[in-house]
Amino acid sequence: MIPEFENPERLWTLLLLPVLVIVYLVLLRLKGRVALRFTNTGVLNRVVGAQRRWTRHLAVAMSLASLVALGLAYANPLGTERQPRERATVVLVVDTSLSMSAEDVEPSRLEAAKAAAGTFVENLPESFNVAVVALSGRPSIVVPPTTDRGVTQRAIAALELADGTAIGDSIDAALRAVDQAPPGEDDEEPAPAMVVLLSDGASTEGAAPDQAVSRAKGRDIPVFTIAYGTQNGFVDIDGQRENVAPDTATLERIAVETGGRSVDADDAESLATAYRQIGSVVGYEDVKKPITAQYAFAALGFAIVAALGAVMMAARWPR
Amino acid sequence: MARPDESGAEWSVLRPPTGPTIPLARLAPEAALRRLELTIVRRLEGFLHGDHLGLLPGAGSDTNDARVYQPGQDDVRKIDWAVTARTTVPHVRDTMADRELEVWALLDVTPSMNWGTEGVTKRDLGIAAIATIGFLSQRMGDRFGGMMMLPDQVKRLPARSGRTALYGLLRKMLVEPIVPDHAPGDLELADGIEHMTRSQRRRGMRVIVSDFLTPGDSELDPEVPPPWEKAVRRLAVRNQVLCVEVVDRHELELPDVGEMLIHDPETSFARYVNTSDDAARRRMDAATRAQRERVRVALRRAGAGHIQLRTDRDWVADIARFVLNYRRIAGMLHQPPQGVSK
Repeated sequence: MIPEFENPERLWTLLLLPVLVIVYLVLLRLKGRVALRFTNTGVLNRVVGAQRRWTRHLAVAMSLASLVALGLAYANPLGTERQPRERATVVLVVDTSLSMSAEDVEPSRLEAAKAAAGTFVENLPESFNVAVVALSGRPSIVVPPTTDRGVTQRAIAALELADGTAIGDSIDAALRAVDQAPPGEDDEEPAPAMVVLLSDGASTEGAAPDQAVSRAKGRDIPVFTIAYGTQNGFVDIDGQRENVAPDTATLERIAVETGGRSVDADDAESLATAYRQIGSVVGYEDVKKPITAQYAFAALGFAIVAALGAVMMAARWPR
Repeated sequence: MARPDESGAEWSVLRPPTGPTIPLARLAPEAALRRLELTIVRRLEGFLHGDHLGLLPGAGSDTNDARVYQPGQDDVRKIDWAVTARTTVPHVRDTMADRELEVWALLDVTPSMNWGTEGVTKRDLGIAAIATIGFLSQRMGDRFGGMMMLPDQVKRLPARSGRTALYGLLRKMLVEPIVPDHAPGDLELADGIEHMTRSQRRRGMRVIVSDFLTPGDSELDPEVPPPWEKAVRRLAVRNQVLCVEVVDRHELELPDVGEMLIHDPETSFARYVNTSDDAARRRMDAATRAQRERVRVALRRAGAGHIQLRTDRDWVADIARFVLNYRRIAGMLHQPPQGVSK
């Protein structure tokens, strides 16, 4: 893994290393010319036999490794660190299509989803703006982004079933909700936004989700999707029994394209888990921080080993 | 990186020295050596009247066998009256001719001799040993010649008598350019000794100054003769041979200098050796002792006198001690092989 660097142009200093290696080889050559003369080498060679030579290579390799680490440290390498987000706008899209009345999840899909969404909203940091969008044939913003949790909870509890499933339109509605978010107080930059989309069926109405997805992607808003329900869930509509399996493939594609994550949930418990997973992603952000010290420490370790090797090689080892 | 102090032999550990590490005046204390004398036990041949026992009868001071008086040939003043009285036949006492001594010193100047860690290189210690032996053998009419064995040739410095000539010889040896490392040529010590045997036929004294190390040789068993042993044996058939083995302290005791790239001034050997390895150092010192023992045994087998000189010791004292002891053992040590006259 190659880390990112704050000053990648300083990596050019690493080019000095091959130069050093060449100088070392040249010096070796020259040293070969001024080697110690000794007269009785026939016997010496016979008596001394093979000796360990690894200290020499160790010292040189460690010096080079130390220099590499130092060169990388000079370029200010950046590491990622998870930090709790200060502020964000989370748009909760909850499916309210008729298929949510299926009872393969106790007590029913919608009730379980409401409960899980309520818990999810509760666990979000207080400074987050939360909006709720009801996903049906005609998606609507139920609650614009707000930090007032009471309003949000009441709106979630009051969600009612409606006809149709328009996933693409619902993403557009979610993007509109993001626009309604109040701007930050001290900086103009709007808070980062995320969409959490819970759906239990295929898109049946409105535009195909692809265009909405590319719009979300253009605005850098990740869409986290929860494919909700079991494969053999059913609803009785007008006396006809219809299978309402979630369209996991589409939801996953949406998540992957926008840089979010897709989770499957087929009962209340796994739904809670799914929301927790998403919450842990939404609640934190990756921050790039310089980790120069780690590289400097590695360089120090290499340098110490190299120095010990050099001492062992060049001088008498104290006994 | 030039060092301010005078000698700088220690730098020979890193690169070949550029010149002599000892001045001519310090090679040997001439005055102190005047009362010492090198025992010559082998008989000599020559033309001049000298101080040493010759091989053949002639005018001299040393008595030989008595033989029957030949009227007309022998001088009546030489009649040995004691023998004549006992045998009732006139006898004369022969004398052996007194001859001059000719000493030839072979100096090994191959790159492995350009080494020393204690103020003087092995090569310069060898020259000092030649100087000391030269002054010890400066008697009436004695001649001293030198040979230098380079990797590609043997240089000959003609034998002359007198201390001035000896100084000239020593100076020539000192200023002889240092042989660079890995110099071309494949002459070994055995070749140098053979060259001396062939080129100097007249009986006399031969001094071989070398470290007696064969480049790349790792043999330690004294039963295996070193490559130069046969040459020394051949030289000792007609001559009194003295071998001066020059060693450095750190050849005998491998120093602890950490991990080092070590190369040989003569062979292509080059490798990293961790000299801080105690066990390896102990093994090396033991192996070096065995190697020196092998040299000693081989020289004894070849019937040559053997002096070991070290760069960290006073060579004059070592040679003086050797010479005093040599008076007693020389006669036995230099027994000629069977069938060769003494």
